[in-house]
Amino acid sequence: MIAANAIQLTVVTPETTLLDEQAAVLRFPLEDGQIGILPGRAPMVGRLGIGELLVTTSKGSIRYFVDGGFVQVKGQSVTLLTNQAGKLDEFSVADIQKTFDEAIEREVKTPAEQAHKQHDIDRNRKLLELLKK
Amino acid sequence: MANARLIIKRLKAVKNIRKITRTMELIATARFKKAMDRASEAKAYTQKIAEIVGDLSAADLPFSHPLLQKRDNEERVLLLVLTSNRGLCGGYNSGVLRQANICLKDLEKSRMNLVLEVSGKRGISSFKFEGQKTDLEFTHFEDKPSFEEVDKVAKRYVDLYTSGAVDRIEVAYTEFQSVARQTAKVETLLPIQDLSTDDKQEQSLAVDYEFLPDAEAILEEIVPAAFKAKLFKCFLDAAVSEQVARMVAMKGATENADEMIGDLSTKYNRARQSQITSELSEIIGGAIALE
Repeated sequence: MIAANAIQLTVVTPETTLLDEQAAVLRFPLEDGQIGILPGRAPMVGRLGIGELLVTTSKGSIRYFVDGGFVQVKGQSVTLLTNQAGKLDEFSVADIQKTFDEAIEREVKTPAEQAHKQHDIDRNRKLLELLKK
Repeated sequence: MANARLIIKRLKAVKNIRKITRTMELIATARFKKAMDRASEAKAYTQKIAEIVGDLSAADLPFSHPLLQKRDNEERVLLLVLTSNRGLCGGYNSGVLRQANICLKDLEKSRMNLVLEVSGKRGISSFKFEGQKTDLEFTHFEDKPSFEEVDKVAKRYVDLYTSGAVDRIEVAYTEFQSVARQTAKVETLLPIQDLSTDDKQEQSLAVDYEFLPDAEAILEEIVPAAFKAKLFKCFLDAAVSEQVARMVAMKGATENADEMIGDLSTKYNRARQSQITSELSEIIGGAIALE
């Protein structure tokens, strides 16, 4: 049973359940801007953007990275469905910089490739920005 | 005597084969457990997607999305066949290929243009043998298909479908129902026929959601996500079924080898005994002749 002033947070990716714990405050990007969630939030379904998921628990806060997907708030539980997620300190700046440079250099021919490239650029740019913070 | 020698040789060969099949059985068991864990973890995602879809349908939206619309005149159909890279897994590959061939014949009858994509070396070589042209082949999906790789395939399919290059996408794979039951089947991936799973809908009706930014935008994103989850599930199911099939096949092979070893040892002992008996009678016969 969870306390009335806590959020049961679940982060699921297609491959695994990344996170399943209690939190006090959440902050993450929606498609059109940041959103903060406190316990007792009204039910909501939203589309996630690319960026940082900040989970504040009683022990401190942890930073994660999420890349698109959905969020569902229902009662005490908040579920984030995302294609890709990970702890922010597990990414290495050098690797991200490399994929970012590769994405910028990549030649595209079709609109689909262009969209893919743009997504890669946005994602890695955001990651770099967060890592350097 | 040559007969006893021959039997020993065979016995050794069977024992060696038994070692191999036994090891393969153990490996398949370990891999099966891992694959099974992955599949059950992935289930959480699909369930949540289904739940949100249920929430959306409760919001009284007109459900329209390019991936949901069935086309009136279907001309080009894409068939993806999921087989394994390795053999020695009983009827796993032949089951999938049989279903795929039935589907191919049907398509030929209705004069559809066909795009055939095959994953797994076994499927590729089988189609080559039959002289069926394949359009694309994958061999990089092993027992642990990653979402990233499946995502690439899924994205390409979405593009193909929305651009009108193909009008229907089918997949032939082995569905994993339980450890004792896997069935090879052909399923339609696109257009998505049934987005929601009916068991979740009723309970979600009760909650009045706020949709951010709005319900249409979520629908626009969730339909491809549901499709990707479905395709990923097909790959995972195929991987789990392959390991189960191999496990069962190798267990059978080990048991047969055991039986054969028993048979051969009896035969060898008999041959040896008769050899001794005949030698003895020869010696006795010789001794009598000398008297």
